[in-house]
Amino acid sequence: MKPPVIYGAAPFLVPAVLLAVWFLLTAGTKPAVNPLFLPPPATVLAGFGELWRDDLAGDFAASAITVLRGYICGVLVGLTTGAACGLSRLTERVLTPTLNTFRQVPGLAWLPLMILWFGAGTGGKTVLIGLAVFFPVFLNTLQGIRGVPAEYIEVGRVFGFGKLELLLRVVAPAALPGVFVGLRYGAGIAWAVLVVAEMLGARRGLGFLLMRSQELMHTHHLFALIFIIGGVGFSIDFGLRRLERHLLRWKRGFEG
Amino acid sequence: MSHLETTAGTAATADTSGTGNAAAITIRGLSKTFRDTRAGGTTGGEVRALDAVSLDIAAGAFVAIVGASGCGKTTLLRAIAGLETAHEGTVALDGEPVRAPGPDRGVVFQDHRLLPWLSVADNTALGLSALPAAERDERVRRALALVGLTDFAGAWPAQLSGGMAQRAAIARALAARPRALLLDEPLGALDAITRLRMQTELERIWRVEKITMVMVTHDVEEALLLGDTVVVMTPRPGRIKREHRIQLARPRDRESPVFQDLRRTLLVELELETPPPAVAGDYAI
Repeated sequence: MKPPVIYGAAPFLVPAVLLAVWFLLTAGTKPAVNPLFLPPPATVLAGFGELWRDDLAGDFAASAITVLRGYICGVLVGLTTGAACGLSRLTERVLTPTLNTFRQVPGLAWLPLMILWFGAGTGGKTVLIGLAVFFPVFLNTLQGIRGVPAEYIEVGRVFGFGKLELLLRVVAPAALPGVFVGLRYGAGIAWAVLVVAEMLGARRGLGFLLMRSQELMHTHHLFALIFIIGGVGFSIDFGLRRLERHLLRWKRGFEG
Repeated sequence: MSHLETTAGTAATADTSGTGNAAAITIRGLSKTFRDTRAGGTTGGEVRALDAVSLDIAAGAFVAIVGASGCGKTTLLRAIAGLETAHEGTVALDGEPVRAPGPDRGVVFQDHRLLPWLSVADNTALGLSALPAAERDERVRRALALVGLTDFAGAWPAQLSGGMAQRAAIARALAARPRALLLDEPLGALDAITRLRMQTELERIWRVEKITMVMVTHDVEEALLLGDTVVVMTPRPGRIKREHRIQLARPRDRESPVFQDLRRTLLVELELETPPPAVAGDYAI
């Protein structure tokens, strides 16, 4: 039996150890590691302040808007294409060979072309993120619809549901768990692609700040930015997980 | 005659005279062949699931269809439901040919098939979307009360036991006010004790609702307990071997000698038991 206190504290154990090691390695006037490579926690904390005064909010907003726009575009196109292919074998046959070919190209490989076509601003990154989000959403929606048990469709038919009613009241809710896998996976990819794309070519955004901090040898800014990027990614996944738990609460039987 | 008439006890089958809402079902020359797509099929790639099946089901009757698996009993039920349409012969409801599923026929499957993302109440309301909200709620309330699930209206299907889920499935079918309820081994997946309870429950619901009920089962006792008519089917090809009119008083006593004799007779017909030596009795096979 695990005492509840230990169980509740368990997720914080590893971060606490890492933090302690960090303190130890950087403590004193002659720290074990050169501060250029590993600045002490206090300096990193100060780095947050410096970045904030240097309009971190503006860069954050630029990143957030770009990722949101790209994500929404990718999700909308992925859902509709996935649904179209899931519902019609012919559509699937028309589209999937081409899409499977394009899927082999890593998302970021499109970046140079996007910059060439749309410039280094947010337009190209929106398309890039949309492209990266599209595939997991498309594939999971397709699989989700294909996985709808024929038994449920029959229940709809017994109650005289028409095509549209079957789609909205049986197929869509039954496919939702699969769709959510794609939505969550896509969100993770979107954030990662955005940051890397901003590092490779941008004038604003968190990825741009990362590159600038490296060039200026502001290691403590690098650390601060990594914490921010990780925190945002974590929050996105956490939020989607909560939403999923609410929408799919019937799966666990008990209200959550 | 191919009918076994048994008149022990008072003849107490349902009075079918006042069944204005029940539907009569007429089946004529129903045949259905499935292509066997499995590798190594010994049947030459075809399975004759139903072979020239004809059956008359009176309005308000409780007909139990028994047979081993593969005798076509489920196919027969699905044809009545309108879920199986590519067949020879006709199925008619009060003379009207069946071409598709319709609200006049309720179906209860062996697996309860409650939609897991809907509460018990919302599942029960599945066939009622055309009704105004007040009437819909009232129908749901009454259907759930009938099967004793009033307190579970807000529960998710995943929270229900097997017997409760099957009762919810029955409530869902009844809420749409069908004129015939088609039950495909509705108790097949339940444990023995729940099953006994649900058999009594089904009989009670049939008396209250006064609609036609057609139940497919592989349980001879269950068929004898509930059916006015027990139809015996045999496989390869799926045919009706015999129809028995059961006129035992309800509720039926499964321990009574007549019941046990009938059970024996049915098992012999299903070739599950060797014929008994000739016994003196006031009924004949």
